[in-house]
Amino acid sequence: MRKFLVLLKKEIKELLTAQIIAPLIITAVLFFFIGNLMDKEQDKINQNVNVTVINNDSSSKSSEFFIQSLKDSGIKINLVNGIEESKALEQVKQDDSVALMVIPANFEQSLDTNQPEKIKTYTIVRNFSMMGSKNYGIMMAAIATANEKISNINIASKSPDSNPDAIKNPIKADEFVVVGDKQANISPNLVMGFVSQQTMFIPIILFMVIIFASQMIATAIANEKENKTLETLLTTPVKRNYIVVAKMAGAGMIALLSSLIYMVGFRSYINGISGGAKATSEISNIISNLGLTLKPESYILLGLSLFIGILVALAISLILGAFAEDVKGVAGLTTPLMIVVLIPYFLTMFLDINSLSPTLRYVVYAIPFSHIFMAAPNLFMHQYLPVVYGILYQLLWFIVFVLIAAKIFSTDKIITMKLNFGKKKI
Amino acid sequence: MENVLNVSNLKKSYGQSEAVSGISFEMKKGEIFALIGPNGAGKSTTLKMIAGLLSPTEGNIEINNLDIQKDSDKIREIITYLPEDSGAYKNLTGLEYLIFMAELYAKNKSEVEEFVSKGKEISGLGEKLKNKTSTYSKGMTRKLLLGRTVMSKPELAILDEPTSGLDVINAMEIRKTIKDMTKEGMSVLLSSHNMLEIEFLSNRVAIIDKGKIHEIGTPAELKKKYSAENLEEVFEKAVNADKKEMETK
Repeated sequence: MRKFLVLLKKEIKELLTAQIIAPLIITAVLFFFIGNLMDKEQDKINQNVNVTVINNDSSSKSSEFFIQSLKDSGIKINLVNGIEESKALEQVKQDDSVALMVIPANFEQSLDTNQPEKIKTYTIVRNFSMMGSKNYGIMMAAIATANEKISNINIASKSPDSNPDAIKNPIKADEFVVVGDKQANISPNLVMGFVSQQTMFIPIILFMVIIFASQMIATAIANEKENKTLETLLTTPVKRNYIVVAKMAGAGMIALLSSLIYMVGFRSYINGISGGAKATSEISNIISNLGLTLKPESYILLGLSLFIGILVALAISLILGAFAEDVKGVAGLTTPLMIVVLIPYFLTMFLDINSLSPTLRYVVYAIPFSHIFMAAPNLFMHQYLPVVYGILYQLLWFIVFVLIAAKIFSTDKIITMKLNFGKKKI
Repeated sequence: MENVLNVSNLKKSYGQSEAVSGISFEMKKGEIFALIGPNGAGKSTTLKMIAGLLSPTEGNIEINNLDIQKDSDKIREIITYLPEDSGAYKNLTGLEYLIFMAELYAKNKSEVEEFVSKGKEISGLGEKLKNKTSTYSKGMTRKLLLGRTVMSKPELAILDEPTSGLDVINAMEIRKTIKDMTKEGMSVLLSSHNMLEIEFLSNRVAIIDKGKIHEIGTPAELKKKYSAENLEEVFEKAVNADKKEMETK
């Protein structure tokens, strides 16, 4: 055991290089920084949507209803009455307004005679970013609110006893979401949007961790073979199994550490771009009542699934690394593993695996990494049994691959095995 | 004197190709024994089999009367191996490397300290041991690795081309260290294609070519037998004599 710890210490020291740590920290800090920046920018956008308005009507409907509706939506109005449209547009292009709106002269009269009226809206496109489109969304929402108000007034003036909302929307969906034996009066779109927003980072992190760990261990083995330090190590009085396990444990520990750092950074990034939980505390209560949250035991199962998945990837990479003659050959050797990880990654991002055709479904089930990606959605639905079966299935693969790796390391195959891509024999 | 190594009818094949074709020799304790021959002669394959890295296709290897197949764990405790052109762990300092290797051989903490102290002395790298091995020149790396090979005082040290690619000064220092190893009771099995070096270092040599041993003896005996001035001449004559013998058969 003492010698195992000596080997493990060496593995960690060898793997924890500046080349590994620096990009890891930089990426996490960048995620954190971008997330915070976007969060602040969103707050700024919500507070600072400036719209220039030419009001050629000056009626109560244009100023009290339309312009006031814009103001109520948090839009800052810059009234420039008496200026030509083209000049106002030039001015808007120069300042920080996101649009120019022109209210026509006969605005109130048209509305009073039930004639739809057009408000010219010049949206200034300065970029194609997500934040840019959000400005437009706020503006359109304000127009919709104004429309709602004015149409309500029109209906009320024509038929004082009627309910304008009932006339406009005679049929309304009273939406309920049912999860297992629980239900809540909420739109499924809101629930699905919230849950996917909260869980979208999970497969990305899982994918990154698996690929990172695989590359790390395969490179470590190839490096040892290229430097012939492996030959030296294999002649020392250390059990070969210790060498295999220490390499896997070292790479696994670094991979988990890196995933933790990534997860914190990525979470901050996602919160930043999605507005986080700030605006959704009401929805999050409903989600919680529906039981669509991860319980402590769910986290344990998710962690276990990820951990064993990483071990499977490490064992496969250890075998693949043993085929490498040098570090350059590692990328080619680990490509098949990446493809096998990518298949369930993409499928679980966009599809429900259970809805696939039986053949395709069993193919996906057969891939040990699929169970890591399927674990989170299953755990959200409190379906524990498929997750436990998935873990046991992964464990089976891990045992098989570790036995193969141990066999390779215990024979001279570890020295003689070679697989070169694209190298011609001279 | 007792033998530290007995090799009998050793063969190694890779598919149809035979890298080592039934070689036999023995080494006495405290002896420096060299395998000399050109590149591809089968020297490294033989050393790797003795170090337990490659499994022989046929034949037996005994180190201190322990069988390489049955007693590999015990054998690894009493041998050290220095591969040709090998490096050290790039992210460790020279000192960390020595400590790591010492911890694998030592039975207790005081032995670790003893081994490391010996390794430091033999490597002769002084303050440079505090630097990462990635900053070392080839000569410095070789000295560090030789220090590692010797520090645990193995019964048998196996050195594959120990001075290959080194400049004259570094090669001379390494040769001196190897020569001194036997004074501490160690036995050294080495390979080289530098026959002048072997003549200076070895008590006995085996001339190997195309996986076969052509001659074994002390440099003086072999030079006398073939009326040669040096081992290079002995090598040429011994290999040619065998070729002629084969042709006449």
